[in-house]
Amino acid sequence: MMRKGSLWGLIFILLLAILSGCSGKDTPSSGKESGETKGGDSPKEPVELSFWYGWTGPEGEALEKLIKKWNDANPDIKVKGLSQSDYQKQLTAITGGNPPDVASNFGKDVVPWGERGAMMPLDDYIKKDNVDLGDFVPAALSSSQSQGKTYAIPIAMHVSMLFYNKDMLEKAGLNGPPETMGQLKEYIAKLSVKENGGKLQQLGLWPGVDAFTFSYSYGGSFYDADKKQVTPDHAGVKAAIEFGKGIWDQFGSKELDRFASGLGQYMSPQNPFFTGKYAMTIDGEWLPTFIKQFAPNLKYGIAPIPYDDNNPNLKNPGNVTTSVFYIPKGVKHPDESWKFLKWITEPEQMAEFTAAIGNLPTRTSLQTHEIYKDVPGFKEFLQYSSSPNLRSFPATTFSSEYMTEFSTQYNAILRGEVSVDEGLKRVKDKIQPLVK
Amino acid sequence: MKDSISGQTSLRRRGWTRREWHYFWLGLIFASPWIIGFLIFTVYPFFSSLYFSLTEYDLFNAPRWVGMDNYKAIMKDHNFYKSISNTLFMAFISVPITLFSSLLIAMLLNFKVKGINYYRTIFYLPAVIPSVASALLWTWMLNPDFGLVNIFLRWAGLPDPAWLLDPQFTKPSLILMGLWGSGAGALIFLAALQGVPQTYYEAAQVDGANWWHRFWKITVPALSPIILFQLIMGLIGAFQIFTESYILAGGKSNGGSLGGPGQSLLFYAVNLYQEAFMNLKMGYASALAWILFIIVMLITLLVLKTSKRWVYYGGE
Repeated sequence: MMRKGSLWGLIFILLLAILSGCSGKDTPSSGKESGETKGGDSPKEPVELSFWYGWTGPEGEALEKLIKKWNDANPDIKVKGLSQSDYQKQLTAITGGNPPDVASNFGKDVVPWGERGAMMPLDDYIKKDNVDLGDFVPAALSSSQSQGKTYAIPIAMHVSMLFYNKDMLEKAGLNGPPETMGQLKEYIAKLSVKENGGKLQQLGLWPGVDAFTFSYSYGGSFYDADKKQVTPDHAGVKAAIEFGKGIWDQFGSKELDRFASGLGQYMSPQNPFFTGKYAMTIDGEWLPTFIKQFAPNLKYGIAPIPYDDNNPNLKNPGNVTTSVFYIPKGVKHPDESWKFLKWITEPEQMAEFTAAIGNLPTRTSLQTHEIYKDVPGFKEFLQYSSSPNLRSFPATTFSSEYMTEFSTQYNAILRGEVSVDEGLKRVKDKIQPLVK
Repeated sequence: MKDSISGQTSLRRRGWTRREWHYFWLGLIFASPWIIGFLIFTVYPFFSSLYFSLTEYDLFNAPRWVGMDNYKAIMKDHNFYKSISNTLFMAFISVPITLFSSLLIAMLLNFKVKGINYYRTIFYLPAVIPSVASALLWTWMLNPDFGLVNIFLRWAGLPDPAWLLDPQFTKPSLILMGLWGSGAGALIFLAALQGVPQTYYEAAQVDGANWWHRFWKITVPALSPIILFQLIMGLIGAFQIFTESYILAGGKSNGGSLGGPGQSLLFYAVNLYQEAFMNLKMGYASALAWILFIIVMLITLLVLKTSKRWVYYGGE
């Protein structure tokens, strides 16, 4: 019997060890709390917020500067920043019940996450504190909103424009950038050079570039909210795909793959646009900053995205994407989290941050701010960001899946694995059942 | 002897003695870390994924029962078929090739030449390198413009494909990478080769058997249990292939979707990851996982069943 008793004792100790191992995480903090309330004079203990953001390197440092500014001014709410570019980890933390107090994300994830309950709706706070949502660029704000709820505040926005190499255009006898899609097509033909038995040496514009941007050039739309229909087969979307396909087929997959394989890294002096492998490219507002850094001697121009020849009212089209801040579901101090979120998206902080990292601000009131005076290319981009023809991909619960599937099928169409109609039908067949 | 046997049987009739119970509990306690781990980390997830596969579950909201809807949707999903065909290609083409090359390397490393230990180390080295690092290394090796592989091919006057960019060559690229790492399998074959009694070969040589006869009639049968083991492990590995595709064909270059050019590297596990963690369809992904489980189990059973015909265990 003694032996049996010692055996149960062993089991007991083992269980105890397991249990204490599980709860070990909470013990020190609760001990600290009780200790401080006993001894301290201040009744209110400073709240510590964890803030996960996706920026790294110099961009992360710019954000840390803001965090320091906040901490100096607010001793009662201490914010601790953590650079965490893998947004998948936020999901794990939220579902695990231990989320960061404030976090950054891409605009395209806001509604899928928000509608599923991973993000806290901010409307009550916005109302209480009279945050003027009217100051935000509509296309940027709309990606954070769904069914009357706002799940995140966009801090920065991105829009693409047409970059062109002035020397190469001049050499080809072209005067100024193309304005319409028809002209763009001619430009690409003239600016693409084959040498040595048909080997592509230089390309006017990479044909697989951006079906979303060009869809808006043709007035395309991806979702009919009234009919609850996904519309990858919308005439405008189809026209954009056919445009890309037309250029792709001029050269063929084999030649393009060969050409692409010799191209250098995007974030380096070997970027194909910097080295003259591409005469034109569609890229975002950060590119001029890169050019200044990697290819200071490049003579380039920034022009509006070309539009459908038959629809002059579609002038200055574009695809807007955003970076946002949000409060995850289940945070312990929502009021304090909001205070910080509200502060960091105020005009002053937004200007400081976006100017430092070369991103566009989402507030219209900032578009004339002098802080952007020295950011290369921002004269053109700030002006462009108020164009009424900017669109963003429709914010729905299934939007990230929709974009993935669309890109996949676009790729298959370009490579001739499926016809245009069949590829778009596949997108529709896969996504339409997700509409609720 | 007789006494102890009859004593045991009578004991069994009476049930366990206190001593036996004691050892039983003691054994359980020593095994308990594994038992608890197995229950929590294997049995529980196993059955909960079966449950989730019959629901619509996005991590945040409670799972909603949908019955067989996920499985029905999978049957209509072209990504599913694409991923199956890509994966089967790797299983049925890459695995035999890698197996054969491992065996070949093992036989070469079995020769008694000077410095053989260095050769063995060199061939085993790639297996030590983490798969992410080797995948990154191979993106350089296979770069169509300045990669070593194409420099050599051009020098030899052979066609130089665009390896990782051309949908027709992406999977062969992976096979090439796999061959580079076949030293790990070769090591196991080598150990087995050294267990084959030399007397067999000597006897065969006396009987006038040539190299091929000795290989085919002695080496292969003697190694057959190891071949079976490597084949099954290789097949299971092929069905779970993920890292190489994720690194080589990841994200940005393809407009955010995984799977590489023309989805030629969309393997089963990659598709599953995409559905679960990018599209937040945990129920759908669980159903995919169960289909994978059934496929792998069936193929393994099939291999085991046919193996009776070609695997020889010593002493039989």
